[in-house]
Amino acid sequence: MSEHKKMDTIEGKAGHPALCVLPEIEKEDELLEIIWTLREEGTLTWDQILQGCQIDGCEAILRDLAKNGWIDIKGQTVEMRPKGEKRGRELVRRHRLSLRLFYDLFALDGAEAEACKFEHILSPEVTDSVCTLLGHPPNSPDGKPIPRGECCAMFRQEMKPLVAPLADLIPGEKGKIVFITPGSHSRLDRLSAMGVVPGSIVKLHQKRPSYVIQLGETMVAVDKDITKEIFVKKV
Amino acid sequence: MHDHGTNDAERYRDSNLNKVLLIGNPNVGKSALFGLLTGKYVTVSNYPGTTVEVTYGNAVLNKTRTLVIDTPGVNSLVPMSEDEKVTRDMLLTDRAGVVVQVADAKNLRRGLLITLQLAEMGVPFILDLNMDDEAKSRGIMVDQEKLSRMLGIEVVKTVAIRRSGIDRLLKSIQHPRRSPAGVQYDDAMETGVRDISAFLPETNISARSLALMILAGDESLRGWLHANLQDKVISKIEKIRQEVQSKFNNSLGYLINQRRLKKADEILSQVLSLHEAGKGSTIAFHIGRWSMHPIYGLPILAFVLYLVYQFVGVFGAGDAVGFLEETVFGEYLNPWATKIVTFVFPVPFIQELLIGDYGLITMALTYAIAIVLPIVGFFFIAFGILEDSGYLPRLAVMVNKVFKVMGLNGKAVLPMVLGLGCDTMATLTTRILETKKERILVTLLLALGVPCSAQLGVILGMVSGLSGIATAIWLGSIVVVMLLVGYIASKIVPGEPSDFVLELPPIRVPQLMNIFVKTLARVQWYLKEAVPLFMLGTFILFVGHKIGALAYIQQITDPLVVGMLGLPSKAAEAFVIGFLRRDYGAAGLFMLAKGGMLDPIQIVVSLVVITLFVPCIANFFMMVKERGMKAALYMVAFIFPFAFAVGGALNWVLRTLKVAL
Repeated sequence: MSEHKKMDTIEGKAGHPALCVLPEIEKEDELLEIIWTLREEGTLTWDQILQGCQIDGCEAILRDLAKNGWIDIKGQTVEMRPKGEKRGRELVRRHRLSLRLFYDLFALDGAEAEACKFEHILSPEVTDSVCTLLGHPPNSPDGKPIPRGECCAMFRQEMKPLVAPLADLIPGEKGKIVFITPGSHSRLDRLSAMGVVPGSIVKLHQKRPSYVIQLGETMVAVDKDITKEIFVKKV
Repeated sequence: MHDHGTNDAERYRDSNLNKVLLIGNPNVGKSALFGLLTGKYVTVSNYPGTTVEVTYGNAVLNKTRTLVIDTPGVNSLVPMSEDEKVTRDMLLTDRAGVVVQVADAKNLRRGLLITLQLAEMGVPFILDLNMDDEAKSRGIMVDQEKLSRMLGIEVVKTVAIRRSGIDRLLKSIQHPRRSPAGVQYDDAMETGVRDISAFLPETNISARSLALMILAGDESLRGWLHANLQDKVISKIEKIRQEVQSKFNNSLGYLINQRRLKKADEILSQVLSLHEAGKGSTIAFHIGRWSMHPIYGLPILAFVLYLVYQFVGVFGAGDAVGFLEETVFGEYLNPWATKIVTFVFPVPFIQELLIGDYGLITMALTYAIAIVLPIVGFFFIAFGILEDSGYLPRLAVMVNKVFKVMGLNGKAVLPMVLGLGCDTMATLTTRILETKKERILVTLLLALGVPCSAQLGVILGMVSGLSGIATAIWLGSIVVVMLLVGYIASKIVPGEPSDFVLELPPIRVPQLMNIFVKTLARVQWYLKEAVPLFMLGTFILFVGHKIGALAYIQQITDPLVVGMLGLPSKAAEAFVIGFLRRDYGAAGLFMLAKGGMLDPIQIVVSLVVITLFVPCIANFFMMVKERGMKAALYMVAFIFPFAFAVGGALNWVLRTLKVAL
């Protein structure tokens, strides 16, 4: 049922410019993100912020942020206060995780634009789920660090992602199929007739000389490429 | 797999006998059950218009004469292969019969996927859970009563290879029912199904199931649709399909399967109980694992090849051929034929045509029956055993990477191995490959470098007199040439390679009866298809000899053979014959070698050239039939000069390096 609904949110607006007309609160978010990014690059000054900001009324919003205790402004120097720091950190984390999600998982063009919108609607729980789903990635696709979340700390010892391509399992390991990114439709049709659908338990039998997977009592030899498209949660 | 018995199949299709169709996934013991039900009177035929073998048998079931049909295994009744299409068409277009669905009790999930489709089709059927013993030994228990209630049909358990449960099965066959079990799809799909159904004519199966096949994007229905509906209606249906598809991200076929599997899992959760598993791993299981192990797989492969060589090469090509050729034909048939022909036809011309050097009896028949038949026959037995044991797909796993170099995948090993028996038949089976590109590549490689068993017999005979190095040079040259040509051709021939997705059946001890039936069908094919071509080839030789064309061609090719290949001019004759059948050519070279007219380098060079020739005129005809005249001519125009070029290069290298063989 949810198939087509999901499509609208993800694909419907692809290709729009990154900074869209935003409600006040989201404008604040954008600015905090700019501040965070500039600080990362070590070029955080008042002028730099205004230069990087493409929103109308940038100055006014910055003053508001200062008035409400998110940031301090002293001449050219801009600093984040603790609660601004926290908010910025979460925003950047959501943005860069979204980038990874769209870029890696869905292989979408215009991932940047999508991520910009997606970050505003992710709740903290969903953010952690996305982070876990992606295996607590340390960097966004453009190489910038993703601020760590609580979920990352919990899995620090076990850096293995919860959901990984079937190709990454060690022979003999089993996983439950979470989702499949189809390389081609006919490929998916045929595999599904053998029971390869989300929810099925699949075992990676061997990797050499060819990949062999096992579902129940069924053994199927497949290309490595196919096992990269089947994402499983280890069981 | 071949063309024989098409009339049989049509006769069966239209006969008025009671009909029982065995339907199920691959490797669930359908054939074993079929053997139990039918006994002796069995024919293997091609389903009309296809290369798919279908086995028909007569039986008396419940005191009624019945036609039992063993259909090709299916994973889905929305066909993804020619096999699956045949089974679906038997349900869709042929006269209706009782359907017995055979399912593997330990792999019920996939079985239920078929069950739900049969239920959707609205055909009366019963469900047989076969191989119940294996399920039990793995701790898998199926509540047969409950399953029967849930599906609304009779469900029985059998162990076909031990005859257990057959009585109950026979009783149930008398009470097939339509199953009310259905699957509810997404609203958008259900609407599509309703809209499409309205356009469909009445058939053996429900309009709902047909509409679902159409939604799933079933290409194989195209022919049927055009035969039964107007173009206008078809385009309306296609529009509905596209509309429904546009609402989903994934292909409808996938979503339909997903929904069916969910339903199957719901049923399973109520009827399946897992107990402490006994020892699931048997010897066969381990052999299956080892045979595709990256290290142990290789000695197993070598061992299998050795056994096949012993059986086909040594026993078939040696002992059986020796007996037939020297004793049966040499001492009895040919002298008798000579006497009779000389007596009946006092005309020298006819005598020469029948019993001369290029005589239809003394050359063609002797060759076809005494030399090639036993080799091919023994090969077919070996191939049947390999096929039924489940080893061949594991071989595909072993060689997948090598075949990738040639733009193919492991699946292509099946026609290639069959090519070692008969290239002509193998060219026909290239149909199992999915893309046109792969079919072209395999056809070319078969014609170029895979020696058939007849030729292999002669070649091995010649090689046996040589050193190991000479054999290695011959084999190495052929392998390198195949890899190289395959690699280059895969870059030139347009198109995409297909995915490697191949189900690996468990390793099993083959059923003798099944192998016997299959081998018989293939030998019949050989006699019907190949022997006439031997006759034709010999006749062309005879005519060529009579009008002096043979000598003329020999004269032309002489400089090539002597100058470039460094062979005696007598070898040109062998190559001319090799144009018609490369094993004839090899046999000609064999005689030269035996007469001491060739040194080791000459033997190796001539063998490489003749191995690279197009196998025979029958193979050429098959190439034309399967790939079209243009493609076939291109290939032939490439192969013959190329074979000479490789031979010339090899000769030059060996002579220049002064290799001692």
